[in-house]
Amino acid sequence: MSVVGIDLGTTNSVIATVRDAQVVVVPATHGGYLHPSVVSFSSDGLKYFSREAVARRIVDPKNTVYSGKRLMGLPFRSDEVQKAITRLPYELREGNNEQAVFVGPDRTYTIPEVSGLLLGYLRQCAELFLSDTVTGAVITVPANFNDAQRRATIDAGRIAGLDVLRVLNEPTAAALAYGLGQNMSQRIAVYDFGGGTFDITVLQVEGDVFEVLATGGDTFLGGDDMDTALLNILAELFRAEHGLDPRTDQAACARLLIAAEQVKRHLSDFPEARGELKNIAVGNQGEQLALRFHIARNVFETAVRGLVMRTIQTSQEVLASVGLAASQIDEVILVGGTTRVPMVRAEVERYFGRPPRTDLNPDEVVAWGAAIQAENLAHAGDNLASRAVLLDVTPRALGIAVTGGFAERIVDRNVPVPVEQTRIFTTSADQQSSVRIQVCQGESRRFDENVPLGELELSGIPPARRGEVAIEVTFRVDTDGILRVRARDATTGVAREAAVNVRGGMTDVEVAEAVERHKSEESSGLPEILDPEILE
Amino acid sequence: MPALTPDQLAAFVEQMYGKLDRLSYYDLLGVSSGTSQSEIRAAFYRVSNDLHPDRYHALGDRNLKERLETIYARICEGYRILTMPEKRAAYARALADGKMRLTSTDRESRAPQNPEDTIKHDEAKKFFRLGMISLGRKDFKGAAMNFNFARSFEPNAAIINQKLGEAQAALGKPGGPGIKAP
Repeated sequence: MSVVGIDLGTTNSVIATVRDAQVVVVPATHGGYLHPSVVSFSSDGLKYFSREAVARRIVDPKNTVYSGKRLMGLPFRSDEVQKAITRLPYELREGNNEQAVFVGPDRTYTIPEVSGLLLGYLRQCAELFLSDTVTGAVITVPANFNDAQRRATIDAGRIAGLDVLRVLNEPTAAALAYGLGQNMSQRIAVYDFGGGTFDITVLQVEGDVFEVLATGGDTFLGGDDMDTALLNILAELFRAEHGLDPRTDQAACARLLIAAEQVKRHLSDFPEARGELKNIAVGNQGEQLALRFHIARNVFETAVRGLVMRTIQTSQEVLASVGLAASQIDEVILVGGTTRVPMVRAEVERYFGRPPRTDLNPDEVVAWGAAIQAENLAHAGDNLASRAVLLDVTPRALGIAVTGGFAERIVDRNVPVPVEQTRIFTTSADQQSSVRIQVCQGESRRFDENVPLGELELSGIPPARRGEVAIEVTFRVDTDGILRVRARDATTGVAREAAVNVRGGMTDVEVAEAVERHKSEESSGLPEILDPEILE
Repeated sequence: MPALTPDQLAAFVEQMYGKLDRLSYYDLLGVSSGTSQSEIRAAFYRVSNDLHPDRYHALGDRNLKERLETIYARICEGYRILTMPEKRAAYARALADGKMRLTSTDRESRAPQNPEDTIKHDEAKKFFRLGMISLGRKDFKGAAMNFNFARSFEPNAAIINQKLGEAQAALGKPGGPGIKAP
C-alpha cells in the first residue's frame, strides 16, 4: 500500500510518491511527467484521459473538459463560472445546490466528479508504475483556494477512492521540497504562476519548521490567460489574411488555442516563432483555410505584460502585509510552468533584486512536496516520519453577515491554523426566534463584496427583546484549511454545529453515489492507453 | 519524529484540556512574560515540533486528536498575539484584568461609545440624531429619510451609511430576523 502526492493542476497534473526515502515521480503514459488535466467523454460511456483527451479537444470539443480546476467548488452563478463559460467549448449547467455541472454526452457530471475521474486515472497510472495499490493521497491546492474549493477537491479525491490525507497549499509543498533536510535558516518566497492561478507565499524556514508568514494571490490569473492573449494575436492575423474571425468557430478556436500554447512554449526558448497552421477553418467556398504566422517574442511580451505586472503587484501587497521589503527575501523559488516565460523570470528578478532559483523543476516541485507530506502523515506516529512541521495560515479573512449588509470578521487573514475563534452576536428584532448565519470569506466590510460560503440557522431562541440574546458564533479552521461553524445560544445552551451548507458543493449523498458509481466503472477495466502521437 | 508516544500524548492532552482556559499564552508557550519576540518564535517552533496535529495524523483516536487540535489552536493564537507588539500590549491589559485570552472585543479598537461623535458636520449630526429616534420607534421609512439627509451633508461617514443600510434593510423585509454585533 502506497500513499502519493498529487499536484492537481489546471492544465497538467503530477503524481509522486516516496520510495526508500527518495521522491519518485510517476511518468506519464506518453513520456514526460506531466499528465494533462483533461477528461474526454464519449456517448457510450467511455472516458479518455491525459494526452489522448487533449487530442479530443479538437475532434470533440463539446465533450472534452479541460481547466476544470477553474470551476472547482464555485457556484454556477458566480462571476468566475459565468466568465469561464464564455470561453469554454463544453457546456455547463446549473445543477443541485447551485453547482456548476458539465453536460456530458451520456449524463451530467459535477466538477468534483470530473476531477475524481482524473484522479482515478492518475491513481491507476501510479498503481501500474509502482505495482502496488494506492490508498491515500495529499492533494495540493492554490493557497488562496477557499473553503468550498478545498471541500470540492476532497470530494474529488473521495470519488477516486482515495483517502485524502490532506489538502496542502501548493507553495508550502514547494517550500518543503526545496528546504527539507537542508537545515537552513532562511526567509523564502514561493512565486507560483501556474496554468490557471497565481500565488505568492512568504515562508520562514528554520531547520525542519516551515512557517508561512503570508500568502496571497489571484485564483483567476495564469498561463491560460497568456494562451488566450496569443490566441487573439493569431486570430487577428487570420482575420487580416482571410477576412474571417476564427473565434466564432469552436473547432477553429480549439485548434488555435492549442497552437497558441505551443507558440508560447517556443517563445520561451527562441526570440520568434513562425509556422503554418493548416485547416484552421473552412472558407466561403468550402476550402480549408490555413494561417501563416510570424510572431516575435516582444509582440507576445507586450500582450502579456499586464498579466505579469499583476503578479508583481500582488507580490508587493503580500510582502507589505507582513511588513517585509523584497530585499528581505533570501531566496525566491519558482513554481508552475508559466515561470518558464523569460519575461516572468526577468520581472521576478527585477522585483526581488536577485535571480530566482531555477534548479528545481517548476512543474514537479509541488508534487515532490506533496509526496513528502503524504509519507509524513501516513506514518505520523511511527519513526518513519520525516521531521518537517508545516505551519500554514488562513488565506482569507472569515466572517458572517450582520444587519445593514455588513460583514463582521471572526477569523483574520494570514493567521496560523488550526485556529478557533468565538464572537458574540445578538438579535436585531424583538421576539426573534431564529438567526440565519451567513458565512463569507474575504476582507471587505460589506458582505456582498466577499465570497459567500454558505449558511446555517440557529432556531428555538426563546422570546426576548432585541439585543438581549447572546449568540456565540465559533469558527474553527483545521490544518486542511477547512472551516467548521458552531452557533450557540448562550442563554439556553442550544447549540448547532454545522458543516455549513456549502453553496455550489456536492451533498454527502451525491458524493457517496459518485464513489459507488466510480467503483463499478473502475472494475470494468483500466482505461485504454492509445498511441499518443496523434497530436503532433 | 514525534516527541510523544500515543500514551504520553493522551496523558498530556488530558491534563491540558481541562485547564486550557486557565492558562495564559505565556504558560502555553512555556515562556515568561518578558520573553523577546524571537524567543517566542523559537518556543512556538519547539512546541509545534512536539504538538502539531500533523504529528499524530495517523492516530485512530478522533476525540484525542480533536482535543489536541483545540489545545494547539490556542497555542497558535498565543504565538500570533505575542508576536504582534500592539496585540501583546493589549494582552498585557487583558491579563491584568484576569483574562487569559485576548478576545475579539479586546483586540479590535471598538467604535466610539457615542456613534455620532464620528460625524463632523453639524447638520449631518442633527439629521443622524433624528434618524436614530425614528429607528428607535421602528419608523424605518422616517429613519431612512433622515439618514439620507444626513448623508447629503456628509457622504462618507461610515456610521451614517451603516444606519442607513440598517433602516433600508428593515424596510426591505419588515421584522425579518438578522444577526448583529452587540
